Amino acid sequence: MSIVGTVRYAAAAVLMCVGAFFFFVGTLGLIRFPDFYSRTHGATKCDTVGAGSILLGLCVLRGLEADVLKILAIAAMVLLTSPTAGHALARAAYRTGLRPWTHRIGGGESDDA
Amino acid sequence: MKRALVIVLLAIVAMPLLAAMAAMPRFGSAEQPAYTHVAKRYLERGVEEAGAENVVTGVILNYRGFDTNGEVTVIFTACAAVIAVLAGSRNRQDQREAASSVPESLVVRYVVRLLAPFIALFALYVVLFGEVSPGGGFQGGTVFGALLIVMTVAVSRNQAERLLPLRIRPWLQIAGPLSFLAVGTAGVVLTGWYLGFPQGATAATRLMLMVLEFGIGVGGATVIASIFWRLGDEA
Repeated sequence: MSIVGTVRYAAAAVLMCVGAFFFFVGTLGLIRFPDFYSRTHGATKCDTVGAGSILLGLCVLRGLEADVLKILAIAAMVLLTSPTAGHALARAAYRTGLRPWTHRIGGGESDDA
Repeated sequence: MKRALVIVLLAIVAMPLLAAMAAMPRFGSAEQPAYTHVAKRYLERGVEEAGAENVVTGVILNYRGFDTNGEVTVIFTACAAVIAVLAGSRNRQDQREAASSVPESLVVRYVVRLLAPFIALFALYVVLFGEVSPGGGFQGGTVFGALLIVMTVAVSRNQAERLLPLRIRPWLQIAGPLSFLAVGTAGVVLTGWYLGFPQGATAATRLMLMVLEFGIGVGGATVIASIFWRLGDEA
Protein backbone atom coordinates (compact mmCIF):
# COMPACT_ATOMS: atom_id res chain seq x y z
CA MET A 1 0.00 0.00 0.00
CA SER A 2 1.33 3.40 -0.98
CA ILE A 3 1.76 6.21 1.54
CA VAL A 4 -1.27 8.04 0.18
CA GLY A 5 -3.29 4.88 0.54
CA THR A 6 -2.14 4.38 4.11
CA VAL A 7 -2.99 7.98 5.04
CA ARG A 8 -6.38 7.66 3.45
CA TYR A 9 -7.05 4.42 5.24
CA ALA A 10 -5.97 5.92 8.56
CA ALA A 11 -8.12 9.02 8.05
CA ALA A 12 -11.14 6.86 7.25
CA ALA A 13 -10.50 4.75 10.35
CA VAL A 14 -10.26 7.83 12.56
CA LEU A 15 -13.48 9.28 11.13
CA MET A 16 -15.36 6.05 11.67
CA CYS A 17 -14.04 5.71 15.21
CA VAL A 18 -15.23 9.26 15.92
CA GLY A 19 -18.62 8.27 14.53
CA ALA A 20 -18.76 5.13 16.64
CA PHE A 21 -17.78 7.18 19.72
CA PHE A 22 -20.59 9.67 19.15
CA PHE A 23 -23.06 6.83 18.65
CA PHE A 24 -21.93 5.33 21.94
CA VAL A 25 -22.11 8.63 23.81
CA GLY A 26 -25.45 9.52 22.25
CA THR A 27 -26.94 6.18 23.22
CA LEU A 28 -25.55 6.54 26.72
CA GLY A 29 -27.18 9.97 26.93
CA LEU A 30 -30.47 8.59 25.64
CA ILE A 31 -30.48 6.11 28.52
CA ARG A 32 -28.93 8.14 31.31
CA PHE A 33 -29.99 11.78 30.82
CA PRO A 34 -32.64 12.97 33.27
CA ASP A 35 -35.46 14.35 31.12
CA PHE A 36 -37.02 14.31 27.68
CA TYR A 37 -35.21 17.36 26.29
CA SER A 38 -31.71 16.26 27.18
CA ARG A 39 -32.45 12.73 25.96
CA THR A 40 -33.62 14.10 22.63
CA HIS A 41 -30.43 16.12 22.52
CA GLY A 42 -28.39 12.96 23.08
CA ALA A 43 -30.29 10.89 20.55
CA THR A 44 -29.97 13.41 17.74
CA LYS A 45 -26.19 13.57 18.19
CA CYS A 46 -26.05 9.93 17.04
CA ASP A 47 -27.57 10.70 13.68
CA THR A 48 -25.84 13.98 12.89
CA VAL A 49 -22.29 13.65 14.17
CA GLY A 50 -22.17 9.86 14.48
CA ALA A 51 -23.67 8.82 11.17
CA GLY A 52 -22.20 11.95 9.55
CA SER A 53 -18.61 11.10 10.34
CA ILE A 54 -19.05 7.40 9.59
CA LEU A 55 -20.42 8.29 6.15
CA LEU A 56 -17.60 10.78 5.67
CA GLY A 57 -15.14 8.04 6.57
CA LEU A 58 -16.73 5.78 3.95
CA CYS A 59 -16.33 8.55 1.38
CA VAL A 60 -12.63 8.85 2.19
CA LEU A 61 -12.25 5.09 1.99
CA ARG A 62 -13.98 4.93 -1.37
CA GLY A 63 -11.90 7.65 -2.99
CA LEU A 64 -12.94 9.50 -6.14
CA GLU A 65 -15.82 7.41 -7.40
CA ALA A 66 -19.45 7.90 -8.28
CA ASP A 67 -20.51 6.02 -5.15
CA VAL A 68 -19.21 8.91 -3.05
CA LEU A 69 -21.99 11.09 -4.41
CA LYS A 70 -24.55 8.58 -3.18
CA ILE A 71 -22.97 8.47 0.26
CA LEU A 72 -22.90 12.28 0.38
CA ALA A 73 -26.57 12.33 -0.59
CA ILE A 74 -27.34 10.01 2.32
CA ALA A 75 -25.29 12.23 4.63
CA ALA A 76 -27.16 15.33 3.44
CA MET A 77 -30.47 13.57 4.02
CA VAL A 78 -29.46 12.56 7.55
CA LEU A 79 -28.10 16.02 8.37
CA LEU A 80 -31.36 17.56 7.21
CA THR A 81 -33.92 15.20 8.70
CA SER A 82 -32.46 14.25 12.08
CA PRO A 83 -32.24 17.78 13.55
CA THR A 84 -35.69 18.50 12.12
CA ALA A 85 -37.14 15.50 13.88
CA GLY A 86 -35.40 16.52 17.12
CA HIS A 87 -36.70 20.06 16.74
CA ALA A 88 -40.25 18.85 16.10
CA LEU A 89 -40.16 16.53 19.12
CA ALA A 90 -38.76 19.14 21.51
CA ARG A 91 -41.08 21.84 20.19
CA ALA A 92 -44.13 19.64 20.58
CA ALA A 93 -43.10 18.70 24.11
CA TYR A 94 -42.53 22.36 25.07
CA ARG A 95 -45.79 23.56 23.56
CA THR A 96 -47.77 20.90 25.35
CA GLY A 97 -46.32 22.05 28.64
CA LEU A 98 -43.53 19.63 29.50
CA ARG A 99 -41.15 21.53 31.78
CA PRO A 100 -37.41 21.04 31.42
CA TRP A 101 -35.50 19.36 34.21
CA THR A 102 -33.84 22.05 36.36
CA HIS A 103 -32.41 20.26 39.38
CA ARG A 104 -28.85 20.82 40.55
CA ILE A 105 -26.48 17.90 40.82
CA GLY A 106 -26.09 18.49 44.55
CA GLY A 107 -29.83 18.31 45.11
CA GLY A 108 -32.50 20.97 45.39
CA GLU A 109 -34.10 23.07 42.67
CA SER A 110 -32.40 25.94 40.90
CA ASP A 111 -33.80 29.47 41.16
CA ASP A 112 -35.82 29.58 37.96
CA ALA A 113 -37.61 26.29 38.55
CA MET B 1 -67.11 -43.88 37.05
CA LYS B 2 -67.89 -41.16 34.56
CA ARG B 3 -64.67 -39.38 35.38
CA ALA B 4 -62.62 -42.53 34.84
CA LEU B 5 -64.28 -43.02 31.48
CA VAL B 6 -63.39 -39.50 30.46
CA ILE B 7 -59.78 -39.99 31.47
CA VAL B 8 -59.53 -43.25 29.54
CA LEU B 9 -61.08 -41.67 26.46
CA LEU B 10 -58.77 -38.70 26.69
CA ALA B 11 -55.78 -41.01 26.97
CA ILE B 12 -56.90 -42.98 23.92
CA VAL B 13 -57.31 -39.79 21.89
CA ALA B 14 -54.09 -38.28 23.18
CA MET B 15 -51.88 -41.26 22.47
CA PRO B 16 -51.94 -41.15 18.65
CA LEU B 17 -51.58 -37.37 18.74
CA LEU B 18 -48.55 -37.59 21.02
CA ALA B 19 -47.10 -40.36 18.86
CA ALA B 20 -47.56 -38.17 15.78
CA MET B 21 -45.90 -35.27 17.63
CA ALA B 22 -42.93 -37.49 18.43
CA ALA B 23 -42.59 -38.52 14.80
CA MET B 24 -42.53 -34.92 13.56
CA PRO B 25 -39.21 -33.27 12.77
CA ARG B 26 -37.88 -31.01 15.50
CA PHE B 27 -39.16 -27.45 15.56
CA GLY B 28 -37.00 -25.34 13.24
CA SER B 29 -35.13 -28.34 11.89
CA ALA B 30 -34.01 -28.27 8.28
CA GLU B 31 -35.82 -31.56 7.61
CA GLN B 32 -39.27 -30.03 8.00
CA PRO B 33 -41.44 -30.54 4.91
CA ALA B 34 -41.87 -26.78 4.64
CA TYR B 35 -38.14 -26.42 4.07
CA THR B 36 -37.54 -29.52 1.98
CA HIS B 37 -40.37 -29.21 -0.53
CA VAL B 38 -41.87 -25.79 -1.20
CA ALA B 39 -39.03 -23.52 -0.10
CA LYS B 40 -36.48 -25.56 -2.06
CA ARG B 41 -38.57 -25.33 -5.20
CA TYR B 42 -39.00 -21.55 -4.73
CA LEU B 43 -35.28 -21.02 -4.34
CA GLU B 44 -34.13 -23.35 -7.08
CA ARG B 45 -36.62 -22.54 -9.79
CA GLY B 46 -38.44 -19.44 -8.55
CA VAL B 47 -36.60 -17.02 -10.81
CA GLU B 48 -37.31 -18.89 -14.03
CA GLU B 49 -40.82 -19.99 -13.09
CA ALA B 50 -42.27 -16.92 -11.43
CA GLY B 51 -40.68 -14.37 -13.74
CA ALA B 52 -39.31 -12.10 -11.00
CA GLU B 53 -35.64 -11.84 -10.14
CA ASN B 54 -36.58 -11.07 -6.55
CA VAL B 55 -37.76 -14.44 -5.24
CA VAL B 56 -39.81 -12.80 -2.49
CA THR B 57 -41.82 -10.94 -5.11
CA GLY B 58 -42.24 -14.15 -7.08
CA VAL B 59 -43.57 -15.97 -4.03
CA ILE B 60 -45.90 -13.18 -2.91
CA LEU B 61 -47.40 -12.30 -6.27
CA ASN B 62 -47.10 -15.46 -8.31
CA TYR B 63 -46.92 -18.67 -6.24
CA ARG B 64 -49.09 -17.25 -3.49
CA GLY B 65 -51.04 -14.76 -5.53
CA PHE B 66 -54.35 -15.85 -4.03
CA ASP B 67 -53.06 -15.14 -0.54
CA THR B 68 -51.95 -11.64 -1.54
CA ASN B 69 -55.23 -11.08 -3.32
CA GLY B 70 -56.91 -11.76 0.00
CA GLU B 71 -54.52 -9.44 1.81
CA VAL B 72 -55.18 -6.44 -0.41
CA THR B 73 -58.89 -7.10 -0.06
CA VAL B 74 -58.49 -7.07 3.71
CA ILE B 75 -56.64 -3.75 3.53
CA PHE B 76 -59.35 -2.23 1.36
CA THR B 77 -62.05 -3.61 3.65
CA ALA B 78 -60.31 -2.01 6.65
CA CYS B 79 -60.39 1.33 4.88
CA ALA B 80 -64.04 0.91 3.94
CA ALA B 81 -64.87 -0.05 7.53
CA VAL B 82 -63.10 2.98 9.02
CA ILE B 83 -64.83 5.30 6.59
CA ALA B 84 -68.21 3.66 7.21
CA VAL B 85 -67.88 3.79 11.00
CA LEU B 86 -66.69 7.40 11.09
CA ALA B 87 -68.96 8.63 8.31
CA GLY B 88 -70.98 10.85 10.63
CA SER B 89 -68.74 13.91 10.78
CA ARG B 90 -70.08 16.66 8.54
CA ASN B 91 -68.41 19.71 10.04
CA ARG B 92 -65.02 19.03 8.54
CA GLN B 93 -64.36 22.60 7.45
CA ASP B 94 -64.72 24.05 10.97
CA GLN B 95 -62.44 21.45 12.45
CA ARG B 96 -59.84 22.05 9.82
CA GLU B 97 -59.81 25.75 10.64
CA ALA B 98 -59.58 25.00 14.33
CA ALA B 99 -56.65 22.70 13.68
CA SER B 100 -54.81 25.30 11.63
CA SER B 101 -54.86 27.76 14.55
CA VAL B 102 -52.08 25.73 16.19
CA PRO B 103 -48.84 27.48 15.18
CA GLU B 104 -46.78 25.46 12.73
CA SER B 105 -43.06 25.03 12.89
CA LEU B 106 -41.38 26.83 10.01
CA VAL B 107 -38.38 24.51 10.21
CA VAL B 108 -40.39 21.32 9.93
CA ARG B 109 -42.56 22.78 7.21
CA TYR B 110 -39.59 23.87 5.13
CA VAL B 111 -37.72 20.57 5.46
CA VAL B 112 -40.81 18.52 4.61
CA ARG B 113 -41.43 20.67 1.55
CA LEU B 114 -37.81 20.30 0.51
CA LEU B 115 -37.76 16.52 0.90
CA ALA B 116 -41.26 15.66 -0.33
CA PRO B 117 -40.30 15.23 -4.02
CA PHE B 118 -37.38 12.99 -3.07
CA ILE B 119 -39.53 10.85 -0.80
CA ALA B 120 -42.15 10.52 -3.55
CA LEU B 121 -39.44 9.52 -6.01
CA PHE B 122 -38.10 6.95 -3.57
CA ALA B 123 -41.58 5.49 -3.07
CA LEU B 124 -41.98 5.14 -6.82
CA TYR B 125 -38.55 3.52 -7.07
CA VAL B 126 -39.39 1.00 -4.35
CA VAL B 127 -42.64 0.10 -6.09
CA LEU B 128 -41.20 -0.25 -9.58
CA PHE B 129 -38.03 -2.09 -8.59
CA GLY B 130 -39.75 -4.55 -6.27
CA GLU B 131 -39.45 -7.09 -9.06
CA VAL B 132 -35.65 -7.13 -9.10
CA SER B 133 -34.62 -5.82 -5.67
CA PRO B 134 -36.02 -5.71 -2.14
CA GLY B 135 -39.15 -3.65 -2.07
CA GLY B 136 -42.46 -3.75 -3.83
CA GLY B 137 -45.96 -2.40 -3.72
CA PHE B 138 -46.61 -2.76 0.00
CA GLN B 139 -43.35 -1.07 0.99
CA GLY B 140 -43.43 1.70 -1.60
CA GLY B 141 -47.09 2.38 -0.89
CA THR B 142 -46.34 2.70 2.81
CA VAL B 143 -43.55 5.20 2.09
CA PHE B 144 -45.91 7.29 0.00
CA GLY B 145 -48.68 7.05 2.58
CA ALA B 146 -46.23 8.22 5.25
CA LEU B 147 -45.29 11.14 3.02
CA LEU B 148 -48.96 12.14 2.76
CA ILE B 149 -49.32 11.94 6.54
CA VAL B 150 -46.18 14.03 7.14
CA MET B 151 -47.42 16.61 4.64
CA THR B 152 -50.77 16.71 6.39
CA VAL B 153 -49.15 17.30 9.76
CA ALA B 154 -46.36 19.68 8.74
CA VAL B 155 -47.61 21.56 5.69
CA SER B 156 -51.36 21.49 5.23
CA ARG B 157 -54.04 18.92 4.83
CA ASN B 158 -55.49 20.59 1.77
CA GLN B 159 -52.19 20.39 -0.03
CA ALA B 160 -51.77 16.72 0.84
CA GLU B 161 -55.35 15.89 -0.13
CA ARG B 162 -54.84 17.53 -3.50
CA LEU B 163 -52.46 14.69 -4.43
CA LEU B 164 -55.39 12.24 -4.22
CA PRO B 165 -58.29 14.11 -5.83
CA LEU B 166 -61.65 13.31 -4.25
CA ARG B 167 -63.17 12.54 -7.63
CA ILE B 168 -60.92 9.52 -8.26
CA ARG B 169 -60.04 8.65 -4.65
CA PRO B 170 -62.47 5.72 -4.36
CA TRP B 171 -60.81 4.18 -7.40
CA LEU B 172 -57.39 4.69 -5.88
CA GLN B 173 -58.55 3.12 -2.63
CA ILE B 174 -59.67 -0.01 -4.39
CA ALA B 175 -56.64 -0.10 -6.73
CA GLY B 176 -55.17 -3.17 -5.01
CA PRO B 177 -58.14 -5.54 -5.46
CA LEU B 178 -58.83 -4.03 -8.88
CA SER B 179 -55.32 -4.75 -10.12
CA PHE B 180 -55.63 -8.33 -8.89
CA LEU B 181 -58.95 -8.62 -10.67
CA ALA B 182 -57.44 -7.30 -13.90
CA VAL B 183 -54.35 -9.51 -13.72
CA GLY B 184 -56.43 -12.50 -12.63
CA THR B 185 -58.67 -12.04 -15.64
CA ALA B 186 -55.64 -11.69 -17.87
CA GLY B 187 -54.47 -14.98 -16.37
CA VAL B 188 -57.77 -16.60 -17.35
CA VAL B 189 -57.27 -15.44 -20.92
CA LEU B 190 -53.60 -16.44 -21.10
CA THR B 191 -53.53 -19.70 -19.16
CA GLY B 192 -57.11 -20.61 -18.36
CA TRP B 193 -56.72 -20.06 -14.59
CA TYR B 194 -57.56 -17.09 -12.40
CA LEU B 195 -54.23 -15.43 -11.48
CA GLY B 196 -52.44 -17.94 -13.69
CA PHE B 197 -49.11 -16.62 -14.95
CA PRO B 198 -47.42 -17.74 -18.15
CA GLN B 199 -44.39 -19.90 -17.38
CA GLY B 200 -41.08 -18.11 -17.20
CA ALA B 201 -39.95 -14.51 -17.32
CA THR B 202 -41.88 -13.41 -20.38
CA ALA B 203 -42.86 -9.83 -21.10
CA ALA B 204 -46.44 -10.68 -20.19
CA THR B 205 -45.44 -11.99 -16.76
CA ARG B 206 -43.36 -8.90 -16.07
CA LEU B 207 -46.20 -6.63 -17.10
CA MET B 208 -48.64 -8.53 -14.88
CA LEU B 209 -46.30 -8.36 -11.90
CA MET B 210 -45.76 -4.65 -12.51
CA VAL B 211 -49.51 -3.98 -12.63
CA LEU B 212 -49.94 -5.86 -9.34
CA GLU B 213 -47.08 -3.97 -7.65
CA PHE B 214 -48.43 -0.65 -8.82
CA GLY B 215 -51.99 -1.47 -7.78
CA ILE B 216 -50.86 -2.59 -4.34
CA GLY B 217 -48.71 0.54 -3.95
CA VAL B 218 -51.37 3.03 -5.00
CA GLY B 219 -54.06 1.24 -3.01
CA GLY B 220 -51.91 0.96 0.11
CA ALA B 221 -50.83 4.60 0.08
CA THR B 222 -54.37 5.84 -0.48
CA VAL B 223 -55.82 3.62 2.23
CA ILE B 224 -53.23 4.71 4.80
CA ALA B 225 -53.77 8.39 4.06
CA SER B 226 -57.56 8.04 3.91
CA ILE B 227 -57.73 6.34 7.28
CA PHE B 228 -55.45 8.99 8.78
CA TRP B 229 -57.53 11.84 7.41
CA ARG B 230 -60.78 10.23 8.47
CA LEU B 231 -59.51 9.76 12.00
CA GLY B 232 -58.43 13.41 11.99
CA ASP B 233 -61.99 14.43 11.09
CA GLU B 234 -63.27 12.95 14.31
CA ALA B 235 -60.73 14.53 16.62
